[in-house]
Amino acid sequence: MMIEIILIFPLIASLILFLAKSKKLNNYVLVIYAILYSLITISFYLNKTANFLLQNYFMTDQLNILFLLILAIIFTGVTFYNLGFTQTPDIDNNQHTHYSIGILLFIFSMTGAILSTNLGLSWVFIEATTLASAYLIYFNKTKHALEAAWKYVFICSIGISLAFVGIILLLISTESINSLFFSDLYTNAAKLNPFWLKLSFVFILIGIGTKMGLAPVHSWLPDAHSEAPSPISALLSAALLNSAFLIILRVFKLMELTHLDHYARILLISMGILSLFITAVFVFNINNYKRMLAYSSIENMGIIAIGIAVGGLGVYAAMLHLIGHSLIKASFFLTAGNILKRFETKKISEISGILKVDKMTGWLWILSFVGIAGLPPSPLFLSEFLLLKTMLEKNQIIPALIIMILLTVIIYGIGKSVIKMSFGDIEVPQREYGLQKINLAMYLPQIIFITGALVLGIYIPPYINQIINNAVLAMSSL
Amino acid sequence: MISILIVIFGLTMLYMATTSRIKALINMLSIQGIILFLLILFIGKEKILHFNFIFLLIETLLIKAIIIPIFLKRVSVKNNIFRDTEPYIPNFYSLVISSIILFAGFIVSSSHHQLFANITTLYFGVSISTILISLLFITTKKKILTHVIGYTMMENGIFLLSLSVAKEMPMIVNMGVLLDVFIAIFILGMLVDKINILFEELDVCTLNNLKDCRDDD
Repeated sequence: MMIEIILIFPLIASLILFLAKSKKLNNYVLVIYAILYSLITISFYLNKTANFLLQNYFMTDQLNILFLLILAIIFTGVTFYNLGFTQTPDIDNNQHTHYSIGILLFIFSMTGAILSTNLGLSWVFIEATTLASAYLIYFNKTKHALEAAWKYVFICSIGISLAFVGIILLLISTESINSLFFSDLYTNAAKLNPFWLKLSFVFILIGIGTKMGLAPVHSWLPDAHSEAPSPISALLSAALLNSAFLIILRVFKLMELTHLDHYARILLISMGILSLFITAVFVFNINNYKRMLAYSSIENMGIIAIGIAVGGLGVYAAMLHLIGHSLIKASFFLTAGNILKRFETKKISEISGILKVDKMTGWLWILSFVGIAGLPPSPLFLSEFLLLKTMLEKNQIIPALIIMILLTVIIYGIGKSVIKMSFGDIEVPQREYGLQKINLAMYLPQIIFITGALVLGIYIPPYINQIINNAVLAMSSL
Repeated sequence: MISILIVIFGLTMLYMATTSRIKALINMLSIQGIILFLLILFIGKEKILHFNFIFLLIETLLIKAIIIPIFLKRVSVKNNIFRDTEPYIPNFYSLVISSIILFAGFIVSSSHHQLFANITTLYFGVSISTILISLLFITTKKKILTHVIGYTMMENGIFLLSLSVAKEMPMIVNMGVLLDVFIAIFILGMLVDKINILFEELDVCTLNNLKDCRDDD
């Protein structure tokens, strides 16, 4: 019954919101949904064997419960942030309603993609995420936002079409099985035709990789992330990329079961290193802090892909990195929203002295940087360290060295901008930096995210460790 | 009969690669829709369930062959776009490249018989080369409208590919229909006028405001 609630609630709610068009009701519904969502997700985690009506198509398992929990946490935080963010007079009732409906449908489609047990169904939901988030990216209705939304829809739709070609090829490889349920595919893995499976993995990796933001096909990501409203950027970066990644992960497991994983690993590691390289090149000379964060998302997705490709302890590192990245990047993007409200510009060169204008935002900005850079109290330090250690153990010294150098360049590139923005004097002292616009709801989610992440870097509680371990086991059960 | 239809489908791709007139491109899309309709009519009976069969027939004839072309034509008239002048590579070269792709599709699919146990080779060759030619088409043209036409071509190719799975048809063909939703979004986006108000010409060269240099933004 639970899965039905989290899947059907947003559909009914968006219909009601569409008819009612009231700001207050929008806020209430979103908050209720967020709380309900978290409670239900936790209940999934506590008893894993509940019976569902749609059991054949949507199910939680050891792997996707991790992704669902991350989505629940990020969604709840972003919802509370939204209470403050949309509290401005320049968003009227109509726009606010559309925005809320957009978020509901976006969450609905991501949940569907995470929970579905059928590759075809996951694909449908990934397509739905594109449609639901396109309006949200276009929300500011400027020329730039339109350009970003158009590029987003066009590039992602081509990616999704290629993924569909991959699914057709996978179906060809199944020969007599003729089913796209993951469980059927896994149990009959030995009967799959390896030639078609290899071909289909390439198409699925490129296609879904477009949504995930891996390097050669990432080009929509910086535009969309920088032009969307900040809470939406946080959702895109911390939740959407993960749900696309889950599908790649599931298909990768199929490759493992058919012993074609060597081939898949080479593809993943080359895309991962290319992602790091692209980020290192672009982040260095960038003048828009939201684009900078978007490139950092590409980098982190690259690291996760490398972790999966390396295997062994690398899978654990990738899962830990996934959690850490989602929490820290969400906090980073939400803080970027605060900065945008205060300074009303996205240019790094025009901002300095955030600490003097708004102490809390400044510290959140710096702490988020500490987190994303992987400096010691951050979970990303642990995961990157584990990843490099595994690579050295497996004698992959040259890729490990390349990764280290690229990571250093990226940290320098981001750090330079963050320090320039946080410290120093205020450039225009007389200017009113919109002090009335920011309330507690726009600080609290980031504080919780960043504290959670930094605590996770020092001490991983046993139940969280259990979730990660289960996910790792689910990936490697041969 | 079926083979002839598929060969005609491949030939429409070659024609689309050479022409720069929008009207001709849209007519070719319409012809492709009709070919898909006939293919389902001929081969579908034994492979597709009853309701599904009727649904797919209606979908291909009504949406692919009639509604999408009509709306694309409306966009082209409304925005006064009748030609895609100056593509990034001359039409003659794109014809040559497309022919090579199509030829390679035929050769590859007919030379590896043992791999093609459960799909129809001719379909496979033509549909894969259609997808590749459309990607080439999208990358070499400059107008947003021609990009959407290229995407529609690609979607037709994917539909043909899903028909090539020779065993009993699962939901996969119906899922392919969902890609039409994107085309609807694109066409809506251009009809609602937002793009041509903000960007005077419907040209991808104007979509270059977002980039990573230091001085702009």
